[in-house]
Amino acid sequence: MTDAARTRLAAHAPEVSAAKARRWGSFYFAEHVLRSMRAYLVTIVVTSVGNPLLYLFSMGVGLASIVDRSAGGAHGVFGGVGYLAFAAPALLVSSAVMTSANEMMFPVMDGFKWRRFYYGPHVTPLVPGQLAAGHIMAVGVRLTLQCLVFFLIMLAFGAAPGPWAWLLVPIGVFAGMAFGAPLMAYSAHIESENFQFSMIQRFIVMPLFLFSGTFYPLATMPVGMQWIGWISPLWHGNELGRMASYGLSEPGWLVAVHVLYLGALGAVGIWWARRNYAKRMGK
Amino acid sequence: MSALTDEDYAITEGGRPLGALYAGNARAVIERGFRVIKSQNWIILVSGFFEPVFYLLSMGIGLGSLVGTVTGPGGAPISYAAYIAPALLAVSAMNGAIYDSTWNVFFKMHFGKLYQGMLYTSLGPLDIAMGEIFMALFRGFLYALGFTGVMGVMGLITTPWALLLVPASVMVAFGFASFGMAVTSYMKTFQQMDMITFVMLPMFLFSATFYPLSVYPVPVQWIVQAFPLWHGVELMRQISIGAFSSATGVHLLYYAVMILVGVAFTTGRLRSLFLR
Repeated sequence: MTDAARTRLAAHAPEVSAAKARRWGSFYFAEHVLRSMRAYLVTIVVTSVGNPLLYLFSMGVGLASIVDRSAGGAHGVFGGVGYLAFAAPALLVSSAVMTSANEMMFPVMDGFKWRRFYYGPHVTPLVPGQLAAGHIMAVGVRLTLQCLVFFLIMLAFGAAPGPWAWLLVPIGVFAGMAFGAPLMAYSAHIESENFQFSMIQRFIVMPLFLFSGTFYPLATMPVGMQWIGWISPLWHGNELGRMASYGLSEPGWLVAVHVLYLGALGAVGIWWARRNYAKRMGK
Repeated sequence: MSALTDEDYAITEGGRPLGALYAGNARAVIERGFRVIKSQNWIILVSGFFEPVFYLLSMGIGLGSLVGTVTGPGGAPISYAAYIAPALLAVSAMNGAIYDSTWNVFFKMHFGKLYQGMLYTSLGPLDIAMGEIFMALFRGFLYALGFTGVMGVMGLITTPWALLLVPASVMVAFGFASFGMAVTSYMKTFQQMDMITFVMLPMFLFSATFYPLSVYPVPVQWIVQAFPLWHGVELMRQISIGAFSSATGVHLLYYAVMILVGVAFTTGRLRSLFLR
């Protein structure tokens, strides 16, 4: 074959393709994951807009009407704001964490076992770590958009009073990743599915949503149950979200704990996920 | 041996009413349901019980200490935990019934092709509908029993009327289960199945589960009062403290009608799907 013919058949010489894949592989794969999300785009859009509307109206407006009457400004349990402003940032962070949990369970299993779409890219120069990174990036994009929509709806409800409230968007993504990345590593390691995901949904995701100080300050719970909040990425995210949204005051050391804890979970999760991807694909 | 004629192959109805729809053997479908629970998904079944309990603990204890007391059905003040507990039971009955009669049925219909197999036998669509609905009710019964026990342990039961929460819960489950299967028969893809969630979530959030209906403007109240879950929540709440009124009859009637219409609807749908 002449050089000219080869050029016609391939966009690049193989070495060039390989170098590109090595360099940009994570982004290529992220694009693939994002495009495959289009299959359920309608669901994504409807839930991203519908859930904030429903929750803010039901919890922030409906529930607020009885909570504010009995607990509002009187003893200031919500740091001087109404119940709507108190609950809204936590609802944003919760929705990010729950979306991240969903994206890090079934789709990961899908890639390794059901539809095996990780194995196509794997025969190219892309390495497993890039697949993991690409998946994480794609979920990050989805979370960013979702948090942005939630934040705009909060603005419409007047539920984000502070000037720094826009920080809720990165905080939501940060908390979502802190929960999602370790979960992704775990999903990558499951060989046979025996309801693990349903169990995670029911015994980890759901309780964290309910016991992480989302609907009331964590200190309201009996001390014996407060530990659930302390280990929950959601509680740390909720507190950061409240600081940004309406200026909840917290001691500096606690803020450092929130950031470090979330950062550590996310970093360990990403490292562990990349490792598990490499192990699983090497089998 | 004489040759068989066409008449020997003819399907006869046997003279019973609804003979073409119902072979009187829903038992077989139910038996299969129990075998599946025993061998595969008992853990899923058991875990479903915890969701309303977690809600009760979280909202009842945490939020309850902020809210204090609220006005109960009879006008007397009751604790917030006692206020939401019967509502959560109604929600749990709805969720269990809907899960069993939608996702479960969806998989059996489109992936397992289970019903086609069943209809090749002497079973008719009504046998299948009744068998599946029974399984959903059984699940609802177990959850109601467990949840009422939890309410007792938390000291939220103050009247013997509360024992009626269990049959009432089964009735609420019946109302939803009888419709779930018929609605599922229209669904072809997973994305369409998500529509069910979009109907359930607002119903859960707005049916006076966590706060009284009176917080809404009047037109919104009318809409909420049309939802089946609201009738379930109100009924359970009245039972939980034994404060009955003329509205109790309306709630019961609502479910009676819902069940009748739902079963007829489901049978009709299964018939048109399979017996064309």
